[in-house]
Amino acid sequence: MPVIKNEYQGRKPDEFRILLGLEGHSNARNIQTYIEKGNGYKALEKVLKGGMSPEDVINTVKASGLRGRGGAGFPTGLKWSFVPKGPGEKYLITNFDEGEPGTYKDCYISEVTPHSLVEGKIIASYAIGAQKSYIYIRGEFHNEIRWCAEAIKEAYAAGYLGENIMGSGFTHHMDVYSGAGAYICGEETGLISSLEGKKGQPKLKPPFPAVKGYLGKPTVVNNVESLAVVPWIIHNGPEAYKKFGTEKSPGTKLFNVSGPIARPGCYELPLGYPLMRFINEDCGGLIGGKKLKAIIPGGSSAPALTAKECENLTLDYESIAGAGSMLGSGAIIVIPEDVSMVSVLENLMDFYAHESCGQCTPCREGTGWLYKISKHILKGKGTKTDMDRMYSIANNMRGKTICVLSDAAADPARAIVTKFAHEFEPYLKG
Amino acid sequence: MSETVTLTIDGKEVTVPKGTSIIEATEILGVEIPRFCWHPGLSVAGVCRFCMVKIEGMPKLQIACNTTCTEGMKVITVSDEVKDAHKWALEFHLINHPLDCPICDQAGECELQNYYMKVGRYSSQMDEDKVLKPKALDVGDNLVLDTERCILCSRCVRFEDEVTKTSSLGIFNRGDHSIVGTFPNRKIQHNYSYNIVDICPVGAFTAKDFRFKCRVWFLNETKTICPGCSTGCNITLYEHKNQRQYYRLKPRKNMEVNGHWMCDEGRTMYEHLNATNRLAVPTIAGKHLSWNLLGKEFKQKLENVKGNADKVALVLTPQYTNEEYENILTSLKTILGNLPKIYVWRDSAEKIDDFDGILMRGDRNSNSKGLSQILEKHAAQAVTLSGDFSPLASSSANLVLVFGPEIEKSYSQFANEVTRFAELSNVIYFGTTLNPITKKFSLAIPTKVFAEKNGTFINFKGIPQKLKANPLVFPAMKGIEDIFAEIKA
Amino acid sequence: MGYINVSKDPEKSLKNGYLSTTLLGLGQTISVFAKQLFKLEESVTIQWPEVEYKYSERFKGAHFLTKRPDGQVRCTACFLCATNCPAQCINIVAGQSSDNGIEKYPVRFEIDILRCVFCGFCEEACPVDAIRLGPEYSMAGLPEQKWVYTKDYLLNRSEIKKQVGAKQVSKKEENTKDASVMSSLPNIHKSSGSGH
Repeated sequence: MPVIKNEYQGRKPDEFRILLGLEGHSNARNIQTYIEKGNGYKALEKVLKGGMSPEDVINTVKASGLRGRGGAGFPTGLKWSFVPKGPGEKYLITNFDEGEPGTYKDCYISEVTPHSLVEGKIIASYAIGAQKSYIYIRGEFHNEIRWCAEAIKEAYAAGYLGENIMGSGFTHHMDVYSGAGAYICGEETGLISSLEGKKGQPKLKPPFPAVKGYLGKPTVVNNVESLAVVPWIIHNGPEAYKKFGTEKSPGTKLFNVSGPIARPGCYELPLGYPLMRFINEDCGGLIGGKKLKAIIPGGSSAPALTAKECENLTLDYESIAGAGSMLGSGAIIVIPEDVSMVSVLENLMDFYAHESCGQCTPCREGTGWLYKISKHILKGKGTKTDMDRMYSIANNMRGKTICVLSDAAADPARAIVTKFAHEFEPYLKG
Repeated sequence: MSETVTLTIDGKEVTVPKGTSIIEATEILGVEIPRFCWHPGLSVAGVCRFCMVKIEGMPKLQIACNTTCTEGMKVITVSDEVKDAHKWALEFHLINHPLDCPICDQAGECELQNYYMKVGRYSSQMDEDKVLKPKALDVGDNLVLDTERCILCSRCVRFEDEVTKTSSLGIFNRGDHSIVGTFPNRKIQHNYSYNIVDICPVGAFTAKDFRFKCRVWFLNETKTICPGCSTGCNITLYEHKNQRQYYRLKPRKNMEVNGHWMCDEGRTMYEHLNATNRLAVPTIAGKHLSWNLLGKEFKQKLENVKGNADKVALVLTPQYTNEEYENILTSLKTILGNLPKIYVWRDSAEKIDDFDGILMRGDRNSNSKGLSQILEKHAAQAVTLSGDFSPLASSSANLVLVFGPEIEKSYSQFANEVTRFAELSNVIYFGTTLNPITKKFSLAIPTKVFAEKNGTFINFKGIPQKLKANPLVFPAMKGIEDIFAEIKA
Repeated sequence: MGYINVSKDPEKSLKNGYLSTTLLGLGQTISVFAKQLFKLEESVTIQWPEVEYKYSERFKGAHFLTKRPDGQVRCTACFLCATNCPAQCINIVAGQSSDNGIEKYPVRFEIDILRCVFCGFCEEACPVDAIRLGPEYSMAGLPEQKWVYTKDYLLNRSEIKKQVGAKQVSKKEENTKDASVMSSLPNIHKSSGSGH
């Protein structure tokens, strides 16, 4: 049974702001606002002028317990420490592909505080010794591309980017790269392939990107949110960060709520926040007093949870994993009672069949196959064996491929077919 | 740093060099792990996900092609879990495969068929419609592509990228609509295109040269050596079981000589073997002569010049086996009392030191090295005829023995040059191909082709390689050694 | 141990003589003859060739090739009949069909009927129901007649058309794509070259 921290009782989400401090400010994206109102570039100053070595930065981030916010929750500091030390070309890439259905937190960061990202990237690049970094943005995000590019331009003008930053001898250049809008390019090796100008499909591991990534050089790929929070951690210290969240999942995280909710949107919450309280109180509950049927807690690739399973859940990596799903990117999709899970399944399978890169056979053929069966069932042409077939296909797609897209398609399918089996009955003949 | 690691595969211990993948280690042991995308001559793609093995201590199954062997690793390739993974991998490959085996040229040597019989044997759960893709596309001078049959193993793409470096193939679209194809306005036009047919595990790429001609189960295999150039690629020759007809040849792995590949030029080396173009019976002054009478006539001609070895000219081409050269020289020495004047006829346009960077060499003769070694052994001085035939014409020989080339197209001026011999009197011509000029020689004797001989070719590196004989296309035919044995008796 | 004697007493049978049995047999013959003469019973023998004998539907006689509904030869030249043929009497030359949906078809399809043993293995092996053994059993002919049945002859058996009739058009489910499917397929070699 998850323990709900007492200190969250009676406090509004607004009180846990780390990243979105500038939310609602009239000129939030401007570098001046960021510097004046958001302690902007203080952390960078502390790192470059305060004599912090790259190891110190890595250790600070390690000590904060920051976990990657892209979905997998891998400790960020640990990821940086895998990069070989010493001179040589290294790259830092920000994964701004944000393709997971239901997720829009990175867009929100770039809308509210793009300079957090830029500053975080400079610090992270200093930590791993990268001379060049990229922000890989999904092609459809026209505004976000502009905002990030403007922020970089301003940072160059202010002397936070370029040769010999703040006289520290550290040189760093940053660029925005627009992708073409493929879900698979959000996978780090797929993203690297795309950035290299190749067809965006994941690469075999080993070798891992930290050893051989972009152009064959050591590369770190971090999520926007993980990087944007780094300046705060450096500025306020890891202990301050650890005050938020749970022991194993410290800090705050952005959550995106979608579905028939009174107040959908992007919220910054400390990890370990109670899910149902968040939905019912902070987001205002379901529209029209509808009953909750299921929640997909971490983007479309997280297995759906029934309303009953959600009751005592808190929003942190361990609690949701314990319930058999994952926190993922923090995109909470709320499904009300009047939506058929069969159509949810068909919709998800359509997405994955369309987005599979087609490289590994189980995923290429399996996602298409699952989509065909789910379409069949939705049309009322399915039989009972179709459910068993879906389950065994999904089982045999899992863990068999280069990247986890096939797991991402198989897990929701398995969850829906098993947990909501009774909903399929009206669709099946015989 | 130790250079080898020892691991256990299915309980059998094997020691391999560091950096070896599990699939390579199983090859050494002789354990076969099913695979589609892995090819020993290409980089690792790891996309077919077929070569799953269980490694003790790892929670999930791993692919054998991209997992490096480590000390003390325990690999299991036959457990129920692994077998199940193989079955499912095969099912995933087959769900969108058209199963048009009856009209597919690959049927009979298709890895999908083979693995279905070896590790599959399930009944398919696929009930849905298959994905339709373009069929029978013309993608180059020699190739036809059927994207529906393709299992997207990417071997062909990697071959184009890594071996020929022409990069004309790519995989387009996504998901189960992925299609292998050529880039816009590009075709596969290079000298190694048939290798793509060989490495294609299914019938996606078929050879225009072989397409629809014969089903592979009618073919017999013979392991022999390509006579196309001095590289001496190891090949397998395919002959019809019931008819005396050759259909194709394929490369055979030999890392010292040709690796896994061979050139398209070499692939045509079966064409001159078939009866249609062959010189079938000896002719004397343009008239057919039976094989029984040939020995008598030939002996007569040689006896006329007995003792006058310097009045006999012997013209050799570097396309015969070592054994034949040896036989010719020793026999003539015995009959004539001494070695005749020796000429070596070579192509006037050849550039011996040319090399295309992969396999094909400018010296289009299979046994140049062998010929020079045999001549050296007999301490014979040979005059090279290369475009200039005046040394032969001025020798005023009474009898000229010409051992013409087996592969006439390797002589760029063959049709012109062979008439130069016809201008001389009393010429005995040995050759394989039927052409009008043979009737002009006083005696024309058919010889066996490389596929019908047991013998040795020495390649440009000096590696002697053995030919293996097939049954004769013309059963009555006698080889050079038979004819000389007959007249010496 | 004992035995049972089943033989008749030779003495006794000799006593009765063979005459009665012989007469009985003769009577049988005469009665059948009479019955058939006065059409009281149908005759077993027929007046061939004026009268045709009708074999069962499953009779394996001379071959014929079936057609697609559009009249094209159904055979895809897969060589399975030739592979399966114990007499090696089938000779096929395959070619590329001009019809996109068909791909492979027999340019030549010949059966050396003198070697054929009418085992029906070709019919069994055929994956597309293209070759069948028909009802025709009288194949006698003059020596100069061709004994190698060609594709044309096998496709248009005029002499057995009446018996074969609609059977010559196979109704087996088509495995090929019709033109509408072919045109809707993604063409990776579009001449317009709008790119991928």
